[in-house]
Amino acid sequence: MSPLDHVDDYPEIPISLASTATALKTGGWRSVRPVLTDRTAPCSASCPAGVPIPTYLHLITAGRLEDAFEVFTAHNPFPRLTGRVCPHTCQDACNLAVTTDDGPVSIRSIERWLGDASAHLPHRRPHAPTGQRIAVVGSGPAGMAAAYYLARSGHDVTVFERRQLPGGMLRHAIPDYRLPAEVVDAEVARLEAMGIEFRIGVTVGDDPSLDDLEAQYAAMFIATGASLERPVGIEGEDLLTPGLAFLEAVSRGEAVAPGARCAVVGGGNTAMDVARVLRRHGAAVTVLYRRTADEMPAIREEYLRAVEDGVEFAWLTLPRAVNRVAGGLAVTVEAMRLGEPDDSGRRRPEPTGSTRAVSFDVVFSAVGEVANHEIFPERLIGADGWLVTGTAGTTSDPHLHAGGDLVTGPATVIAAIAAGRAAAQSIDAELGFADRWPVDRPEEVVASGEVNPIRRIRRLPASDPRSAIHAPLAEETLTLAAAAVLAEIERCLSCGHCNECGTCFVFCPDGAIAWEAGPVIDLDYCKGCGICVTECPGRALVLVNERDLVNA
Amino acid sequence: MPERLLLTGNHAAAYGAMLSRAEVISAYPITPQTMIVELLSELTASGKLNATFMTVESEHSAMAACIGAAAAGSRTYTATSGQGLALMHEMLHWAVGARLPIVLTNVSRAMAPGWSIWSDQTDILSQRDIGWITLFAESVQEAQDFIIWAYRVAEQVHLPAMVGMDAFILSHTAEPLIVHDQAAVDAYLPRFEPLYDLDPADPRAYGGLVNRDHYFELRYKIFEAMDRARHLVVEAGEEFGEVLGRRYTPVEQYLLDDAEYVIVSAGALTSNVRQAVKDLRERGVKVGLLRLVMFRPFPIAEMRSLLSGRRKVAVLDRNMSPGHSGVFAEEIRATLAGIPDAPPIYGYVVGLGGRDVRVETVVEVFEDLVARDEPETALYVGVKGLPIGPLRVPEGVIR
Amino acid sequence: MRYGVPEAEFLDCGTLGCQGCAATLSMRLVLKEIGDDAIAVVPACCWSIIDGPWPVHSLKIPVFHTAFETAAVVAAGIKAAKVRQGRDTTVIAWAGDGGTFDIGLQALSGAAERNEDIIYVCYDNEAYMNTGIQRSSATPEGTWTTTTPDEHPEPRPKKDIMGIMAAHRIPYAATATTAYPDDLARKVQAAMAAKGGMRFLHVLSACPPGWKLPADQAIEAMRRAVECKVFPLFEIRDGREYTITHWPDDEVSLEDYLSLQGRFAPIMNDPDLRETVRRGIDERWAWLVEQHEREDRVVEAPVG
Repeated sequence: MSPLDHVDDYPEIPISLASTATALKTGGWRSVRPVLTDRTAPCSASCPAGVPIPTYLHLITAGRLEDAFEVFTAHNPFPRLTGRVCPHTCQDACNLAVTTDDGPVSIRSIERWLGDASAHLPHRRPHAPTGQRIAVVGSGPAGMAAAYYLARSGHDVTVFERRQLPGGMLRHAIPDYRLPAEVVDAEVARLEAMGIEFRIGVTVGDDPSLDDLEAQYAAMFIATGASLERPVGIEGEDLLTPGLAFLEAVSRGEAVAPGARCAVVGGGNTAMDVARVLRRHGAAVTVLYRRTADEMPAIREEYLRAVEDGVEFAWLTLPRAVNRVAGGLAVTVEAMRLGEPDDSGRRRPEPTGSTRAVSFDVVFSAVGEVANHEIFPERLIGADGWLVTGTAGTTSDPHLHAGGDLVTGPATVIAAIAAGRAAAQSIDAELGFADRWPVDRPEEVVASGEVNPIRRIRRLPASDPRSAIHAPLAEETLTLAAAAVLAEIERCLSCGHCNECGTCFVFCPDGAIAWEAGPVIDLDYCKGCGICVTECPGRALVLVNERDLVNA
Repeated sequence: MPERLLLTGNHAAAYGAMLSRAEVISAYPITPQTMIVELLSELTASGKLNATFMTVESEHSAMAACIGAAAAGSRTYTATSGQGLALMHEMLHWAVGARLPIVLTNVSRAMAPGWSIWSDQTDILSQRDIGWITLFAESVQEAQDFIIWAYRVAEQVHLPAMVGMDAFILSHTAEPLIVHDQAAVDAYLPRFEPLYDLDPADPRAYGGLVNRDHYFELRYKIFEAMDRARHLVVEAGEEFGEVLGRRYTPVEQYLLDDAEYVIVSAGALTSNVRQAVKDLRERGVKVGLLRLVMFRPFPIAEMRSLLSGRRKVAVLDRNMSPGHSGVFAEEIRATLAGIPDAPPIYGYVVGLGGRDVRVETVVEVFEDLVARDEPETALYVGVKGLPIGPLRVPEGVIR
Repeated sequence: MRYGVPEAEFLDCGTLGCQGCAATLSMRLVLKEIGDDAIAVVPACCWSIIDGPWPVHSLKIPVFHTAFETAAVVAAGIKAAKVRQGRDTTVIAWAGDGGTFDIGLQALSGAAERNEDIIYVCYDNEAYMNTGIQRSSATPEGTWTTTTPDEHPEPRPKKDIMGIMAAHRIPYAATATTAYPDDLARKVQAAMAAKGGMRFLHVLSACPPGWKLPADQAIEAMRRAVECKVFPLFEIRDGREYTITHWPDDEVSLEDYLSLQGRFAPIMNDPDLRETVRRGIDERWAWLVEQHEREDRVVEAPVG
């Protein structure tokens, strides 16, 4: 366009000569600008393993299954396992559940689908071999995870397992109706296909000893779990059937013939598993617990399923003695009441003095487990009798990391996996392979006040369908179909991660957002009105003050 | 074939629009224009005229519709009168600023209140300063022809044009005229070629916000265009003679050559002036008639050359700008200011609201012209109870 | 993308709308549906400025700027010329509430009565915003404007422009707003399909400065207007058949809507006035539902 310096430059009639885009850089109006970020969603932040959930959900929607699997397994190698048994703190933290009445995204169901759909994918070993040999003791989820990550880094990994079959609590405690043995087998097989060596039936401590391993391996990760059952501590203890041992026997395929009336003492996951196995085999089951449902440490979902199965609950009930009587066992129980909170923060049970006797055929104990520390030198044990560990499971022995239930006491599968991963990363750092790990996710978490659920798909959460097969140990739920998974992902607000919903593009008044599989903001024209940020369902776009950018 | 018909001025105007092949006609009825639009409706309905007739709901909308249609590439025509022209005023400006060669026939009538449907030039002269090429028709023939002439010029300079016709005297008077052959008019008036017709293939904004940096230059273009119109009117008037057999000029001279006294007049009342001049000449008076045909652009050169050296000039204004004088008189005075041998200009305000300006009245005016020493600002003719003279001096005021 | 909004843009960047201007967004989204075989007529209103000062222009279609009162009739004139050129170009009159409800009402009524073949879009920000937020007959009762200050807020209810358009029996009229982009898109498509006669779209358009609203809340304000039934989304065919196109789920109260905008302070501060306003909204909604449910006025709808 000519500069219009002379009247002859002007057109005869007052028609325009150029586009506003050539002359009016309205970006100069801005005092704040929208910036596309990739922040951490509260679901991801609550996941002990830090799985970037909106990211992999988006990849599933985009049809990129292998990429979704890759993103997921960079944090948790076993979606098939945790997709079945995880207590899903992610769902509790879900911003959709916090800000609406719709309920959370069924993240675990999606994860289960991802695991099953990618079951055929071999685990990759993208890095060059290091020539280092690492020993992992214990083939439960912590040991399996550590083995996976160390093998992925290029090390030669040997896993030692004392039992005849690998898997730890995955196989020997969690019953098949929650986590089928075939699934555990398949995951172990995939690890073996990576080149991880499993030495079954080998108990570290005697032969080989820890010192032996120390001599032969560049590093060790011990994750032998916590399977020493606590005694109830009452008269007639020897008449009680240990619950964990019972579950192990069930996992070995031994027949379950528990008798008509069973009691289970305890309120944790083991107690629930025992109660439900018994119930599913036809027994009348009563759980005796000294507090109430609000204080019980079992995963709530397991408690609710137990109720559904028909397990009875005797709250505020503490066994005081067990005696053999004609026809079975008589348990003297005392009624409790709740007093002040104890160290765990739960209200302490206080005796009322009121007792009665209850009859059962069998009484199982499931009042918690502790770890076996015999193989460890004294110097590694603390005053409370447990291993002293730092972050990522370091001990005062530079070659020895520990993690999982061994360190924490009974916890969750996902916590064990996270511990195995953290230890593997720590070992890699010590051996000089820190660069084989991705950079950690940003710490900043998308708060519930930032998200905008207005345009959400308004639907209740999907749930894993119930299986029609009702055999006592048959898997009780099925994996969602792919269409249901995609529909469920549609509900996700995608906190902190752009999932290409297009909301910003649609609502920008100035057309300053170009669309190239996601927003590209034209800063020459963006006026900083903030609509894109306010309307972004997951607040993947944030407003940054121009002043701060200048000073940065 | 050209036809000789007997038509009223209104119907002749309709024929003018038809021969010009107006494509979009948008008008609102107002006495005494109504027969123009009625005949155009009939001609359009019968297919004799291939045009789109928009029966809009007011004159403001009529001009707006023409503006839209012209901007989008159609040749447009409208007609109105008095209150209607006044209502269009805002949009008359728009037509100029948007450079749209709309042609409008205004049947000049007095402005209300009180309601007056009779001949008066105040309505059309109130639109003086907008930028419309303005022609005053005297006869039924001119009522038709000036429309064609107006399109010819307007479409070359991209400015609108209006043709004034006196209410009733011309609009409702039947006279014989030659209705030209369509092919001949087509030869004279080519297709309308707009500079821009809102073509989506070339998306421009048309007439938007113009700041202080640019307005003057865009206006200057209009001034230059109006100035080009000056010679184009002459050229087109000559061409009219060549192609259609009638030569038109910006001013008409009648018995002017040796005239000592000149009477200047515009519009249909000029017919009586012509008769009066003829009668006066028979009495031996050296008087001539200068008819103002083209009012905008103002025929400066013609006025100067034809009036300088005269003894006295009477200008008949069937209009009046309160607080000054009749508009024609004002304009002529301004044109002659500082010119050597400029004659004194006597401005006579006559015939407002359709009051007859008979031949006798013109003769009276002439006699006053001869007798009066001072031209005064304006001289009012025929006010009841008053002789021809200026406004009376209010009591106690010393001029 | 989760919206059925086409990606092609017919609006260049560099428009002069205020931050968060829904008038700009309305044009942007409407043109996406209409495409570039179109001409817009813009009377005096914010869009006279938004399009950019001469010699620049933002739209990929021609825009004819015109005087305040004349959008509908100038559009009709342009259409007449294009028809004579054998073109099927869509001619859009694009006016604010001033140029539609008030000074432009005559031309709008005339064009509607003649059933002119144009699409008339009124982007309604409920006051004369371009001249500095003075009241119009589209200003809701109780609203602050610069000519209806807080002490004497707007005394009259909003003029029922859709009722006026229904009285003209035009083929298609609809309310819409950019907070519901898919609904707006469908209605533009329906308007395009009903060509041959007059189509009217009444588009609620948030104005952050005039509504005393933070710019980033513009979409939310329009959404709440619909959800609390202040601005129902519906269509009228032939002036007789009413179809409500969005059924609010009662999650947004009148107070939720009013409290977002400083211009409604008089209503928020006066419980009696608020009750009057609420009653008016409820009555209007009930009446609309009645019209929607009538079965004796069904009209054959054009495919669109």
